[in-house]
Amino acid sequence: MATTRERAPAGWVRLCRADDIGEGQSRGFDPDDEGQDSLFVVRWQGQLHAWRNACPHVQGAPMAWRRDAYLNAAGTRVVCHAHGAEFMPDSGLCVQGPCRGERLIRLELVVDVDGELFVNK
Amino acid sequence: MKIVGLESLVFAVDDVRGAARFLVDYGLTAVDVSDRGGRFEAMDGTAVVIARQDDPALPPGPVPGCRLRKTVMGVADEATLGAIAAELRRDREVRRLPDGSVESIDDCGFVIGFQLTARRPFVLPGEISNAPGGVVFRPVNSLGVPPPGSVIRPRSLSHVVYFVPDVMKAEAFYVNRLGFRCTDRFTGTGPFLQPAGSLDHHTHFLIGAPPHMHGVEHFTFHFGGPSEMITNGYRFVEKGYQAFWGPGRHILGSNWFWYFNSPFGCHIEMDADMDQHDASWQPREATASADNSQTFLLKMRKKWYPGPGIPENGDYA
Repeated sequence: MATTRERAPAGWVRLCRADDIGEGQSRGFDPDDEGQDSLFVVRWQGQLHAWRNACPHVQGAPMAWRRDAYLNAAGTRVVCHAHGAEFMPDSGLCVQGPCRGERLIRLELVVDVDGELFVNK
Repeated sequence: MKIVGLESLVFAVDDVRGAARFLVDYGLTAVDVSDRGGRFEAMDGTAVVIARQDDPALPPGPVPGCRLRKTVMGVADEATLGAIAAELRRDREVRRLPDGSVESIDDCGFVIGFQLTARRPFVLPGEISNAPGGVVFRPVNSLGVPPPGSVIRPRSLSHVVYFVPDVMKAEAFYVNRLGFRCTDRFTGTGPFLQPAGSLDHHTHFLIGAPPHMHGVEHFTFHFGGPSEMITNGYRFVEKGYQAFWGPGRHILGSNWFWYFNSPFGCHIEMDADMDQHDASWQPREATASADNSQTFLLKMRKKWYPGPGIPENGDYA
């Protein structure tokens, strides 16, 4: 899709440069100024994935333990740091913990021709 | 069975440096810390101990994924230590460790330890409210709000909350085998438990939960009072840590609370001003719900007063 940072289609919001998020890293975003990150982006095996910052076990429970810290130390699982639930970074499937078998809510991402990362809220 | 309370909690972590920074930012004092782990003490010497998750010296958790590996309780004297060891040896393995402590396992799979308490007594007045007609007041010219930059430290390890698959069995173990008392109860959820050597409303709270939740809900340290605790909580948030629930005040136990996410697979709480009860106290029973858990919940408004650069309605707008 043709997208520029000045004029994103309705519903799309610019987050950062796509290459600002390295392999095995995560970053939270608060595009609506709610005072708390409403979504986060992880890069795993080269691909970027965006998830709502809401653990499925308690509606809307924020997941990081520190700003931008959504992953385990190895960068191989998304972790809810409320009760330790672990999720696959690419499918959002909970593989261990209180909500095993449930999934995170995925948000659509796109990288524009300039390398800017946009999310569809 | 005069257990005086929690002495330490041992956690397996996957990022020692990050967890250490977290505990120091919470207010604990680092003691003997290396890249393999270390000990983080409150004012009385009670502590959180962390170790790398691949450390072979760590006891196993109750289930895979549970980062709490051991709950150590303090006892008043050697006779109590011997009595606990004898009681538990009736139906399970009990080990005497080289440091003289006793190690075993409870009925829901948590490794438990007992040692002569190493709590260091100290005297430092807690928060005092100035009330007309009152008897005890703050010294004249002393301030109720902790000034910026003041040092705030947790005073003592307060309590741990377990998710257990069989709450009746778990309660029976702590009451019948270790001499704990139920002080209050959430119907169908579980009991608040007090050991015989403490007046605190609870050092343990048990929550009946499905097997896949087996583990820890939270643990916490007592702070000197609500103003100190809430100030510490705001400082913690400013350092980038994630608040979960609070600040507020519980009904059962009356403790002020503020819960945060943590790198320990459970919440960490800051608490202050918990009720104390003796054996004459009659346990209450309530239905578990948010309404029955918080008597109030505070919300900060950063801009509430009209002024330069602030809308007429502050951030109510």
